[in-house]
Amino acid sequence: MTCHEVQVNVSLYLYGELDFVQEEALEGHLNGCALCQRFLAREKAWHGSVNSGRREVPLELLAECRQELGAALARSDEERKANRLSWRYWLEPLSVSSGRWSARLALASFLVFIGFAAARWMDRHGFPIDNPAGTISPMGLVNPSYARVRDIRPGDHNQVHIVFDQVNERAVTGTPADENVRRLLLAAMQDTADPGIRVDSVEVLKDQNGPDVRDALLHSVRHDSNAAVRLKALEALRPFSSEKVTRDALKFVLQHDSNADVRSEAIDILAPVSRGAGMSADLAATLEEIARSEQENDYVRDRCLQLLRNVNAPLDIY
Amino acid sequence: MRGATERTDERALIRAAQRGDSRAFEQLVRTYDHNVLRMAFNLLHSQEDARDIYQEVFLRVHRNLPQFRFDCAFSTWLYRIVANLCLDQIRKRKVRKETSPAVETANGEMDRLQLVPERRADVDPQRQLMSAEVMQRVNEVLEEITPRERVVFEMRHFQGMRLRAIGEALGVTEEAAKNCLFRATQKMRAALGDFV
Repeated sequence: MTCHEVQVNVSLYLYGELDFVQEEALEGHLNGCALCQRFLAREKAWHGSVNSGRREVPLELLAECRQELGAALARSDEERKANRLSWRYWLEPLSVSSGRWSARLALASFLVFIGFAAARWMDRHGFPIDNPAGTISPMGLVNPSYARVRDIRPGDHNQVHIVFDQVNERAVTGTPADENVRRLLLAAMQDTADPGIRVDSVEVLKDQNGPDVRDALLHSVRHDSNAAVRLKALEALRPFSSEKVTRDALKFVLQHDSNADVRSEAIDILAPVSRGAGMSADLAATLEEIARSEQENDYVRDRCLQLLRNVNAPLDIY
Repeated sequence: MRGATERTDERALIRAAQRGDSRAFEQLVRTYDHNVLRMAFNLLHSQEDARDIYQEVFLRVHRNLPQFRFDCAFSTWLYRIVANLCLDQIRKRKVRKETSPAVETANGEMDRLQLVPERRADVDPQRQLMSAEVMQRVNEVLEEITPRERVVFEMRHFQGMRLRAIGEALGVTEEAAKNCLFRATQKMRAALGDFV
């Protein structure tokens, strides 16, 4: 690294924002260059000057802000309660002025269509609806839970044939070991719509044994799009940490996961494994690679180095 | 593991707040509100504006928390709101030309922040003078740089946030945040060279 490059990068160096290789090169240059050492000292000095000119927030202001926020939240809660008594509150989900208006418009159109169709049927056939095929109960249409129309085919004599999916809400109670509960929880772990449900499923399943649970957790660790779910799944994988398939997944996380917290958790789980069972050559190689490439998270890098030291791996390269 | 435990605790806190637990929400506010206020105060140089930003930030958080799906860290989401509100305010001021950190007083022109009472009684007068001069110079530079450079410098230098997190909060890449920081530090170095 040249003097110019050092002086360009020295601020990022002080902020700890250089990658490992750049940092090593810069420190190597600094050791042998008095000019750049002076530049670094001046840089540290102005960083210090900026800090010394910093004013702290008056604590009275913080206290006043907290008080005002408390009052504003109380007002907002009261307004919300009052609004619930108003018909506007119940129509709010259909409002097109707020977000996701297209979905709301579609929902509104669908409801209008259902109302129109039901009215026509009742007008022509009376209530209850004559349904010789017996595939749709009148109550199913009048009081649907959640329905999605998949197909509509007009027939003879003003008849119309509608195919729809209907979801009925049901509740199941039992321990996580019960077959039905376990199956539902495993399915919920793959639910793509709500990460909160996935986290809750992992939380409940974390004390359960069995290859089905382990495989579902491994799948979440590798593929879930949400970092909180991956983190939770990693915690739940601890009992399986001595198994090779789990260690492979942990290595995968260390190498590929974009979230530093998830990588930290993975290295924490790998640590006792490598102490207890000895470290395989491929694990050592992975840790070496991470120690070289990890730039964002010092904790992960340090832990890798520490694990390698525990098995007396040569560290002079670092 | 302490970090992981804290994260889990925070998640539990957020979930409770999402269910309407006002104590959990208050605890969440108190975890971050000092930093939020400090950031707004130092970016806007005005107690009134900082107070407004504080309230608007946490009211928005309260309103939108049920929709928070843990797709990013809570702090990233929170600082995104803070940064956007502060950026809007700074830009509005630039348009209205009311941004000068200097205000007229009986003793001449002074920096707004100097008018905030100094709490420490044992401050050395010479050091105080030096610090006031440095602060004035720092504020001059902060006025000259772009609003985004200013927010990035504030987040990195004073809040200690990583560039990646700053990029996420501002909706830009880490590289773009790094470039902003680089430009801000260059200008700061040039302006403060005489003091060091």
